[in-house]
Amino acid sequence: MKFLCVPCDVPMKITETKGPEEGSLTLVFGCPTCRRQVALLTNPMETQMVRSLDVKIGGQQAPHDPMAFVRSSLAVKREEVPSPNELSSAGSGCPFTSIANSAFERQGSMGGVIWSEEAAERLNNIPGFVRSWAQKGIEQYAQEKGYEKITVEVMEEARQRFGM
Amino acid sequence: MKTYGDIPGDAGSDVLGQVNAQQERLRARMAKIHAKVAVLSGKGGVGKSVIVANLAAAFAKGGLRVGVLDADINGPSLGKMLGVRGQRLAFETAGVQPALGPLGIRVLSMDLFLPSDETPVLWTGPTEGGGYLWRGAMETATLREFLADTEWGELDLLLLDLPPGTDRIPSLLSLLPELHGIVIVTLPSQVSQLIVAKSVTVAKEIVKAPVLGLIENMAAHRCAHCGAEEPLFAGEDSARMAERLAIPFLGRVPFDPVLTRCADEGTPVLLSCPTAPAAEALSRIAARIGEALRLAPALAEAKENP
Repeated sequence: MKFLCVPCDVPMKITETKGPEEGSLTLVFGCPTCRRQVALLTNPMETQMVRSLDVKIGGQQAPHDPMAFVRSSLAVKREEVPSPNELSSAGSGCPFTSIANSAFERQGSMGGVIWSEEAAERLNNIPGFVRSWAQKGIEQYAQEKGYEKITVEVMEEARQRFGM
Repeated sequence: MKTYGDIPGDAGSDVLGQVNAQQERLRARMAKIHAKVAVLSGKGGVGKSVIVANLAAAFAKGGLRVGVLDADINGPSLGKMLGVRGQRLAFETAGVQPALGPLGIRVLSMDLFLPSDETPVLWTGPTEGGGYLWRGAMETATLREFLADTEWGELDLLLLDLPPGTDRIPSLLSLLPELHGIVIVTLPSQVSQLIVAKSVTVAKEIVKAPVLGLIENMAAHRCAHCGAEEPLFAGEDSARMAERLAIPFLGRVPFDPVLTRCADEGTPVLLSCPTAPAAEALSRIAARIGEALRLAPALAEAKENP
C-alpha cells in the first residue's frame, strides 16, 4: 500500500504510528513537500492480518529477537518463556507489540532510523550488558547525521566517533 | 500523476525487505542441515508422529545427528513421544536451544511453550472473530520461526512432522524449497488411502516435491497367543497403491500395542523394545529412507567415530 500526495505528485511517508487501541492501528502519512498529512485507521481484522505476517509497520528497527512472534502471540504460555523484549534490549513491553507496535512507538517523526539486517545482527553480537547503551548511541548518531537506515558502515562511523 | 509502479519502496516499512530478511535467516539456519524430510499423510490419525519419533530414533541410533520439528502447531505430540515435555527451552539471542530427546535428538514443539496438558494454542489479538482468515498465516509464521530461530546446529537430518491436510505441502515448500524429501504415511483403509492419494498428487504433480515413498501403518494385528496376523482394514494393498501412484513403497508397520505404550511413556519402541516386530519394521524403513537420502556415508562415518 502506498500513498501519493496528489497536488505534489510525491509519495507520502509514514510519520507516526499509534496503537493498537481496541484493535485499531493509526498510521499517519505525511507529504515531505507540502507537509500535508493523512491517517490510515485499520479495523481489528486488518490489524490482525498485518500482525500475522510478522512484519513491522514503519520498518524493522530492532535487532532480530528469536521467536519473538511466537512469544508475543501466544495468549497462554509457560512462565519461563520470556516476553519479546526480554532477550533484546528493544521493544515496548506490551505483549502484542513485537509484531507491530514496537515500530509504531519508535517512529515519532519523519525520517526515523531503521536497522539493516546485517547491522542488527552485528548489534546482537555486542555483549548484552552494554548493548542497550550502544544501540541508543548509534541511533542518536544516525539521527544527528540524518541517516534513515543504520547499516554496518554507519555502525563503524559511530564506533570511530565514540571510540567504542 | 504517479502510479503504484512509479513509487519505489512502501512509505518506510520495507515489508518486502523484512520478508526477504526472514527468508535469509531461515536459509542460513537450514544450510547447516544436510537433509530435511517431511512426514505427512493428509489424513489425521494414521500414526505419523509415532513413526517420526521412531525414524528419528533409528537414525540417531545409527550415529546421525537428528532433529525433529513438530509442525503440528495445534496438536503437538512429539514432545510427549520423545519424553521432553518437562524440559525448559533455553532462549538466547542467537536462537532457542531445542529440547534434547533420547540419543541427543533435538526436539522443538509447540508443546514446549504451553504450560499444561489442558492448554490449547490460543493467539492473542484484537479479535477472535474471523479467525479463519488469519489463523493459517499465524501458523505459517510460527513454523517459519520454529525452523529459523531454533539453534539446530549441524544436523545430518531434520524430520518434520506435518499436521493433517493436503494444503500443508505447498505451505511447507514455500518455506523450505530445498526440502529433500517427503514420506507419506497411510493406513490400509480405503478412507485413508482416498485422502493420501490426494497428498501424493499434490506432492508429485502440483508442487513437484521429491516423494521418498509410502509407509503403511497399522498393517495387521498379530495375535499375542498364536502369532497369527489378521488385517485390521480392508483397503487396497498399499504396495500396489504405491506402484499405481508411481512412488516407492517403504514398508509396513504392524499394529503393535507396544508401539503406542512406548509412545505414551516417551521412549521410542526402537530403543526400549528393539526386537518388537514394529521396531524391526521401522528400522528397515529407516534404512530405505537413508539409502534414498544418501545418508550412508554419514552413517558409516558415525560408526567409525562413535
